[in-house]
Amino acid sequence: MHWLLIVVLGFAVGILVGIMGIGGGIIVVPALVHLSGMDQHLAQGTSLFIILFPLGLGALWVYWKKREVNLRAGIVCAIGMLAGGYLGGRIAVDLDSARLESAFGLFLMLAAILLWRRVKPTPNAGAENA
Amino acid sequence: MPDSNANLIGVFATACVVGVASGLFGVGGGVLLVPLLVLLHHYSQHRAQGTSLVALVPPTGLLAFITYYRAHEVNVRIGLLIIPGVLIGGILGGRLAVRLSAGRLRRVFACILFVLGTWEFLSPLVHSTAHAAR
Repeated sequence: MHWLLIVVLGFAVGILVGIMGIGGGIIVVPALVHLSGMDQHLAQGTSLFIILFPLGLGALWVYWKKREVNLRAGIVCAIGMLAGGYLGGRIAVDLDSARLESAFGLFLMLAAILLWRRVKPTPNAGAENA
Repeated sequence: MPDSNANLIGVFATACVVGVASGLFGVGGGVLLVPLLVLLHHYSQHRAQGTSLVALVPPTGLLAFITYYRAHEVNVRIGLLIIPGVLIGGILGGRLAVRLSAGRLRRVFACILFVLGTWEFLSPLVHSTAHAAR
């Protein structure tokens, strides 16, 4: 895969990061598997490397200015995800790559279904110092 | 009190589960954290996304990354090439998002994920069938 193509891929992923408020790994993993031919484990490991860096910082700044951020809850989430991530990583490296890719697909579909469901947000829920 | 300590404990428990998925699938976890903040903790879509971005600033995947690195499942060079674009694109995407309606945002996101998910789910099956056919 040409290096310039990879840079462009990063840019496209970044736009999604900002629009969705996500880390981008969810797009990076399938892109690496299908565009650069990595196996599922290598793509996931490379994705984890990429998201070690605070890539959402630019997007966060935009949300912050619009007061759409709960800092306290965000920090609590970070701690929980650090611990859980260790466990998940241990499970994944021992799995067969093709099976892991299918599981990844199911995971994406589950996330999509969760997200599609209509919920009425409680006014001001999650607002800091509300 | 929308942000009481009891709520924060619930958010923490949610984040632990998200972390397991994050390590298992090599993703940041925002993709699960955002809908769960909306569905379980009744955040608005935008606030859930903003809060998720906070959680993704520290290297929450560090322990998971180390596990993959030890198993030689990391390509550092390609990783480094992807980073600058993500950073710049993120600013652009963030600007777009705060202008869009929360409902539409959620739906667009869900559609993209579902299509990607179906593709990923089927792809290994198709490949193994192709191998078997040979």
